[in-house]
Amino acid sequence: MIDFLLLYAFLGSALVGAVLMLVLRHPMRVALALVATMLSLAGVYAMLGAHAIAVFQILIYVGAVMVFMVYVIMLLDVRDDSLVARYSWLLLPGAVAFLAILGGLGVAVWRGLAPFVAGKPFGLKPFAVAFLNDYWLHFELVSVLLVAAVVAALAVLQLGRKASRG
Amino acid sequence: MDSLQLLGWSAVAIFALGLLGVIIRRNVLVMLMCMELMLNAVNLSLVVFAQRGNPAEASVLVFLVFVVAAAEIAIAIPIVLLLVRHKRSLDLGAYADLRG
Amino acid sequence: MKYIALLPLAGFLLNGLLGNRLGNRFVSVVGCGLPLAAFAVALAYFFNLQATGAPTIEVAYTWFVAGTDVLEVSFYFDRLTAVMALIVTGVGSLIHIYSIGYMHADKSYARYFAYLNLFLFFMLLLVLGRSLLVLFVGWEGVGLASYLLIGFWFEDPEKAAAGKKAFITNRIGDAGFLLGMFLLYTALGTLDMDRINAAFMANPAPAVSASLVGILLFIGACGKSAQIPLHVWLPDAMAGPTPVSALIHAATMVTAGVYLVARLSGIYMHAPEASAVVATVGCATAFFAATIAVVQTDIKKVLAYSTVSQLGFMFLALGVGAYGAAIFHLYTHAFFKACLFLGAGSVIHALSGEQDIRKMGGLAKKIPVTFWTFAIATAAIAGIPPLAGFFSKDEILWFALASGKGGSALLFAVAALTALLTAFYMFRLLWLTFLGRSRMSAEVEHHVHESPLSMTGVLVILAGLSTVGGFLSIPHVLEPLLPLPPVAEGMQPFHYAVVGASIAIAAAGLAGAAWFFGNGAVRAERVRQAFPVLNRVLMGKYYVDELYESAIHRPLLWISERVFLGLGDRRLFDGALHGLAALGRGTAAALGRVQTGSLHLYAFLVLAGLAFALYLGLRHV
Repeated sequence: MIDFLLLYAFLGSALVGAVLMLVLRHPMRVALALVATMLSLAGVYAMLGAHAIAVFQILIYVGAVMVFMVYVIMLLDVRDDSLVARYSWLLLPGAVAFLAILGGLGVAVWRGLAPFVAGKPFGLKPFAVAFLNDYWLHFELVSVLLVAAVVAALAVLQLGRKASRG
Repeated sequence: MDSLQLLGWSAVAIFALGLLGVIIRRNVLVMLMCMELMLNAVNLSLVVFAQRGNPAEASVLVFLVFVVAAAEIAIAIPIVLLLVRHKRSLDLGAYADLRG
Repeated sequence: MKYIALLPLAGFLLNGLLGNRLGNRFVSVVGCGLPLAAFAVALAYFFNLQATGAPTIEVAYTWFVAGTDVLEVSFYFDRLTAVMALIVTGVGSLIHIYSIGYMHADKSYARYFAYLNLFLFFMLLLVLGRSLLVLFVGWEGVGLASYLLIGFWFEDPEKAAAGKKAFITNRIGDAGFLLGMFLLYTALGTLDMDRINAAFMANPAPAVSASLVGILLFIGACGKSAQIPLHVWLPDAMAGPTPVSALIHAATMVTAGVYLVARLSGIYMHAPEASAVVATVGCATAFFAATIAVVQTDIKKVLAYSTVSQLGFMFLALGVGAYGAAIFHLYTHAFFKACLFLGAGSVIHALSGEQDIRKMGGLAKKIPVTFWTFAIATAAIAGIPPLAGFFSKDEILWFALASGKGGSALLFAVAALTALLTAFYMFRLLWLTFLGRSRMSAEVEHHVHESPLSMTGVLVILAGLSTVGGFLSIPHVLEPLLPLPPVAEGMQPFHYAVVGASIAIAAAGLAGAAWFFGNGAVRAERVRQAFPVLNRVLMGKYYVDELYESAIHRPLLWISERVFLGLGDRRLFDGALHGLAALGRGTAAALGRVQTGSLHLYAFLVLAGLAFALYLGLRHV
């Protein structure tokens, strides 16, 4: 019983956070809303038994990605039009399309899911074993991708440095 | 309503909200954050489906998505920094140079 | 037999390729020697024919095989071929020899002889061919050679235009010829002329209309032999060197049409309508050309119109079924007309290029050989006995009246009138050119000289042939092959009357010319003043060229420019291409408006597309 309540609480909190993201004006506040959403999602994962995933969510997303984001927002304290006029000219058409997608995907999901059966929790150990035994290729690809990202970031910064100098 | 259905539907809702955010918000950083939201929604849907079938496979995929998101943000931020240095503005309307 | 044709071809190749390098003497020897050799071979075949009596057939090679149909290049030698081949090679060789003298100062000596030999080759193909296809190759080839030779001095645009006119007018006739050939081939499955004749003589007659074929082939003959309405090229063709006019436009090429009709007599004997058309056109052309010749002032033009008129006589004979008589006239005409043209060439040579007879006169004493040969040939064409022309013309007049296959009093009357005019204008020519007081400019008169032996020798030979040639009765020689038509009822007693009439006509022409043009041509001038309109019409050649110009040339040019060029080419084709390009540009411009540079729009489009795809995917769920 309590499981369900917690699950729905976390879910609701995630949705509220997402909606707030669209409404708040200052980028910093938007970032904080996103952090709240991510934490709630971590809670959802945990309630669903994917403990390893929940941990990674917090570690990687909140701990690295959002921190980076917050730093950048602090650095780029630009006060321009976007602070005043939050929305682009596509507000109405966008909303219409959004509702269409919501309806469409929702219908698909509604009809396609079987009843819920609570499974056993999937901890870190089974995850690690599976990852490094059966899905070792994905593991290698992941490391390649990270190297590529580091190189790309360095290259972009070099470009930036050259551009500012010249 | 079943909880799995509700969860699936909320994943869809969060994804749609993220996409809407990309369309209607003018600040570039906010747009980036909405893209992150979309990725999160995808993760949620993956975890939901993992409950039904193979948890190992789904977990690996989710992990991959994490890595991709991290890599993406690592590169997107410097690009934004460069853009801002050029245009002195975070408003997307200022970046419409590739028109025509 | 193929050597008869191949020897001149070798001459063409040698003279054409090596002539310029090896000098005039080489060109003369090759250019005249090879045709003489061809004449010798033709003579050998002729004697062989006399001995065996049967026609010789020789297959040269198989041209192509289409299914079960085989088309070969084969040669056929019978009496008619003998007459034609001997004339072509004999008179041709004489004219070649004459050209040595006439063209010796020309810078394109080798090219001239090469073309002349080429002409002989094609003409021999024409007369020796067994099938209509080989004949047609020769037909087109002589047209080509004629074009090359008429426009020989091509640097002068007028002369080049005359060559073009000849070729194009020929081509129009060839359309009819081709249609006739197609009909024959479809109906009979063969183009061999002896087989065609046999098929038409046999019972039952073939399914094709003989008259239709006859008329179509006659259209081709009109083009080649300058009958109305395709006669316009022959007077203009006088732009070429005079020996060319003698060879091609007097003796040989223009007679190809006559030969064609005579050769296919089997068809025409069973085609009374076609024969009537042939006779009428021939008679009308004869009269028409004779009237124009009366007022011409260029010595060669008079002879050109005279040729058209004499060809009309030949077709008249063919039309009334007297095929042998037509060939007889062809044979005598070759002699005296060639002699006349070469004589005219001699006069022009003597007068350093003057061709207007109003500026001649009094030449009889100065260039006697030319004068006497010209006079003999003139008498021959006028029909004064016992020269050659008298016999052949008399035969034609007799059959025009009395032939059981279309002879009539009307034809005879017009033909007789034409004969009178012929005698008249030919003696006029003789008088104005040679007799009376001299009207030459002093400078020209000073340089008047007789032509070299190569020219005068040929003139003498041809004059001699004009004298005695008539005694070889060609119609009797050709009787087994081309029977003479039956005489109509009750006409036989008039034979001697007609002979007398033709002698009287010749004498009247002579007398009339002497009366009008003797004594300084005063009376002729008075007559001309008295009939200004008639004079103008005749001098304008009945304005036929102008009619063609306005009725055919200008509309065609207008259509080509306005319709095809302006409308078709520019608007349709270019317009379509430009239109396509403009369409591409326009579409690209319109589609390019999507690229606004705004990421919002792009993301929205993704969302919209996604929604649409979802809708499509979930429609049937």
